[in-house]
Amino acid sequence: MKKIVALCVALLILPALSAFAANIKIGLMAPLTGSYASEGADMRRVVELLAEELNNKGGVNGSKIEIIVQDDGSDVKTAASAAQRLATSEVCAVIGTYGSAVTESAQNIYNRNKILHVATGSTSVRLSEKGFPYFFRTCPRDDEQGLVATSTLHKFGYKNIAILHDNTAYAVGLAEEIKAGLEKAGTAKIVAYDALQPNERDYSAILTRLRGAAPDVIFFTGYYPEAAMLLRQMREIGWKIPMYGGDATNNSDLIKIGGASVVAGFRLISPPMPGDLNSKAAADFILAYTNKYRAVPSSIWSVLAGDAFKVIVEAIGKTGSTDADKMADYLHTKLNNFEGLTGAISFDAKGDRVGDLYRLYEVNSRGEFVLQ
Amino acid sequence: MIEFFQQFTNGLAVGGIYALIALGYTMVYGVLKLINFAHGDLFTFGSYLGMTFLISFALSGALPPVLAVVIMFLMVMGCVALSGYLLEKAAYLPLRHTPRLTAVVSALGASIFLQNAIMLFYGPNYEVYPDSLRISSSVNLLGLDVPVMRIIMLSISILLMLALYFFTQKTKLGTAIRAVATDQAAARLMGIDVNRIISLVFMIGPALGGAAGVLLGLYYGQIRYDMGTMYGLKAFIAAIIGGIGNIPGAMLGGMLLGVLEAMGAAYISPAWKDALAFLILIIILIFRPTGILGERTAEKI
Repeated sequence: MKKIVALCVALLILPALSAFAANIKIGLMAPLTGSYASEGADMRRVVELLAEELNNKGGVNGSKIEIIVQDDGSDVKTAASAAQRLATSEVCAVIGTYGSAVTESAQNIYNRNKILHVATGSTSVRLSEKGFPYFFRTCPRDDEQGLVATSTLHKFGYKNIAILHDNTAYAVGLAEEIKAGLEKAGTAKIVAYDALQPNERDYSAILTRLRGAAPDVIFFTGYYPEAAMLLRQMREIGWKIPMYGGDATNNSDLIKIGGASVVAGFRLISPPMPGDLNSKAAADFILAYTNKYRAVPSSIWSVLAGDAFKVIVEAIGKTGSTDADKMADYLHTKLNNFEGLTGAISFDAKGDRVGDLYRLYEVNSRGEFVLQ
Repeated sequence: MIEFFQQFTNGLAVGGIYALIALGYTMVYGVLKLINFAHGDLFTFGSYLGMTFLISFALSGALPPVLAVVIMFLMVMGCVALSGYLLEKAAYLPLRHTPRLTAVVSALGASIFLQNAIMLFYGPNYEVYPDSLRISSSVNLLGLDVPVMRIIMLSISILLMLALYFFTQKTKLGTAIRAVATDQAAARLMGIDVNRIISLVFMIGPALGGAAGVLLGLYYGQIRYDMGTMYGLKAFIAAIIGGIGNIPGAMLGGMLLGVLEAMGAAYISPAWKDALAFLILIIILIFRPTGILGERTAEKI
């Protein structure tokens, strides 16, 4: 009889034990296909590299980390179903994603399922204004970017400014910020405020239209594929005015599509590039990344995915739990100047990252992004 | 006024691409009453093949640029013509005597297959044509800055269209194509090998689509596996505007759509460009369902 009881007890304890030693699952939602596919590939490499390093050191709280990757297809509909799949695969937290509109379509799903959600490249202001308690982001917000953009345009003395966006949630948000900033400052005139259709090839019609308004600078708030096409076609029609871009133009594919000689001189507002991060953690990370993949990360956004991974692991480690409420509470109130890859990380009550990150970059004739 | 003419030239260049693709739709429709939805993806395929030939055969370095481009054009047109031929044999020939809807569904399937095959083979990212072949300067024509590439692009597409027009109007084979389009049964009685003519049409159409793909790659530089969907759709609209089944109609429809889109982008809003294209389609279908140059009543698909 005793034996049977002991066996029963053992059977009861066994699942509990194995649950303790089981892997902790963290989801990664990234654009592996679609327009932003090169961002997604890097996000995956960065997060998998960090997870591997951590697991080799024994994991967190004695558990290994398992990364579950879902493709958001750079598309809002695909992202919603990717989020559903992650929500049903028992992840405690999700990293991602890049585009703001794409993140927005997944936000509700994570919130409803009580999953900690750390976005990595989605800078649209409204994402953190919805009061979702489990939402965080390691990237800065567009209102800050708007301020830096406005002061940059002001600093270089542009008087007639054309603002161009592409109707995506992110680009419209940033364009509105810059417009409001310029109107408030009152030193420059907005001569054109327009939108182009993303995913096309011929932007000559919009360029001709802008040219009619005679601006002395164009600020494009959209993404790198369109920025590259705009620069090429400006060159072709012989229109020589400077163009500035927002942080979504920060990707080495900008050079690949546009060609270094065409893109040279293009300036962009962006968080620091991976190579310009000067902490030891960043240097070690870049070294490990280069050793493994024989290339540096093509933009800062994938490194911010690495930071998202690090803060999630920190929250799991410090709270000893994978409960979303406990982790969110820890990140909101106790995480203070945590040493991430891109510098010190703290979050405010809305889950936004605290601190100023934006810098001005210029593309040189070799196609490199140079800090100004 | 300068801006108006500038926009006009912008529209013509895009219109040339639309027209070349529209020819493939219209020719197939003419002989088979079938909308070949896979045509847009054959166009993408041509674009990718052009890039592959340029890079892997080092055409861009070893030969004078003009010769390299001509050879590449011929190679791509040949390869895409062959795939058009195979497509017809695999996806349409077995369904020749089934209801027409079956063939349309088969066409949609072929389109999805081709698009995904290209994605799996080349990857989902943007691909870029080598820069060395592009001429990024522009010439001043009567006060307009017109990029040289744009003039070349428009000339090549007009040249190809003229060649096709003379082929169908003046040669024996061309007459046979027109005969099959008018009445298949009668054409057969006159001793025309209808299956051979249909195969021929499935080679000429895709060859022109492939050429359009290369032009697009050379001019814009940036290509992607899914671009066939939108260009195919626009070209399809162009074919309907001009009168589907009618070769000069496809040319006219393509040019017209390109110019109207550019004007819409210029004077209404660039964000409304696509909506405008479909609005034109609706207006044409309501007021002139046969298209501008079409004689036959378009039948429902």
